[in-house]
Amino acid sequence: MIVADKKPIEEIIESVKEFKKILILGCNECVTVCEAGGKKEVGILASALRMFFLNQGKDVKIDEQTLERQCDHEYLEEIRDVVDQYEAILSLACGVGVQFTAEKYHSTPILPGVNTCFLGATEQRGLWTERCQACGSCILAFTGGICPVSRCAKRLLNGPCGGSSKGKCEISKDVDCAWQLIIDRLKALGKLDEYEKVQPIKNWSTDRAGGPRRVVREDVAL
Amino acid sequence: MLAEMEPPKGVDISVMMENASRVKGEIDAFVVPEMSNAVMRMSALGGALLLQKNGMDTVMQVCCRDRNRLALQADLLAAGASGVKHIMVVTGEDPGFGDHHQAKAVYDLTLLELLDAIEKMENGHDMSGIDLCGSPQFLVGSTVNAGLSAQALESELSEMNQKIKSGVDFFITPPLFDIASIKPFLSCVDLSKTPIIPTVLLLKSLGMARYMARNVKHVHIPDELVRRIQNAPDKARECVNIAAETVHAIKEHGFSGVCISTIGWEDKVPDILKNIS
Ligand code: SF4
Repeated sequence: MIVADKKPIEEIIESVKEFKKILILGCNECVTVCEAGGKKEVGILASALRMFFLNQGKDVKIDEQTLERQCDHEYLEEIRDVVDQYEAILSLACGVGVQFTAEKYHSTPILPGVNTCFLGATEQRGLWTERCQACGSCILAFTGGICPVSRCAKRLLNGPCGGSSKGKCEISKDVDCAWQLIIDRLKALGKLDEYEKVQPIKNWSTDRAGGPRRVVREDVAL
Repeated sequence: MLAEMEPPKGVDISVMMENASRVKGEIDAFVVPEMSNAVMRMSALGGALLLQKNGMDTVMQVCCRDRNRLALQADLLAAGASGVKHIMVVTGEDPGFGDHHQAKAVYDLTLLELLDAIEKMENGHDMSGIDLCGSPQFLVGSTVNAGLSAQALESELSEMNQKIKSGVDFFITPPLFDIASIKPFLSCVDLSKTPIIPTVLLLKSLGMARYMARNVKHVHIPDELVRRIQNAPDKARECVNIAAETVHAIKEHGFSGVCISTIGWEDKVPDILKNIS
């Protein structure tokens, strides 16, 4: 899923303080799972902002709504009738949701309420870690299902660097060395011969290096 | 008078050195591109140092595409310490245009951030604010697209002003064939205050002239010029004449200088220089 984190409240206040009617728009998908932009967080943020404006002696209308998804035309249509009632929408969706909402509703400022961080998983309650960088050409088949592009600090593709120590990465004792994980897993799978194969130089043009990307699927296009 | 001098794709520098030496006395400095069009070749730093070593001044390009802030600063220190006095900052074309499509572009710094870093270094600090042991001093150039008009020109001019505020001392334009075509730009810029150096590109053939006239936006090649090449018995000669005449016109017009670009035909630079009336 897409993992997002809360924006500092000061930054949010700075971005909305001029508006009198604000809709806080949550999203039921990834940001709900990572507890940054779902219905619950919409409620908490709305209360915090109401309190702030009350303290300032300002009369600001703050409404709450959470859509099934903000990265889908269909669900975004649900706010069409109410959009004009607001001077700004504070979207707690990921960057995709913020932009998709903005593309649909041109005349209303759509502001981001979270920082979109990475593609990751919930390792334990309150801890999300990165698993994928969407490089566009997956190599997990050769690396025991562990991604060195997203999990090795140097994005090494052919074994660890000299800094790997006791299973940890040289950048921090809190970070597992991806290559230690890969080798352990290949060993467990009895596939260490995979490790012997030299991976070719990576084609980064399918990564963000090739400019904004798109997936075109004629087989499913209408 | 500047001339572009592409470093070689390889380690044989004889052609570059020979071409440069032939016009050494007539060219004030050689502009050394940093892998233009994202085609891999010797770095601008390498090319500049080789020319400098042989007593030729250079304008070394510094490009955001291939290096992060560590490498950019490191190379600027190397350049400064080796006598490079003029640099030119460019964003760089996407690797997709070049011959290494699979390369990862860096773009750690934007052009304005790079300018800011250069200013900091000139004032004795690196980007992290740590003191340098001796600071480099550069005359800094950048590009400006003088061929724009209307709204596009407006934003180009505001970007140009931003660059000036960030320390740019001179600007080099894309190829110019017809001064009248950049009138909108000239009416907004005081040439005595802002040093503008148009590029004079040596057309290599009728095909190139036609192609550019049709496909390169914001570069105006008058039909009459295309016809001239078409009707000339010796087309390459005519292209050299055209380049020489354009240099002359630019000098007459009060620009701060001119940059001759021959993209691979650097051996024609002496010919162009000889023909400037
Ligand atoms: S220690 Fe391991 S994870 Fe860290 S950079 Fe080296 S190989 Fe990559």
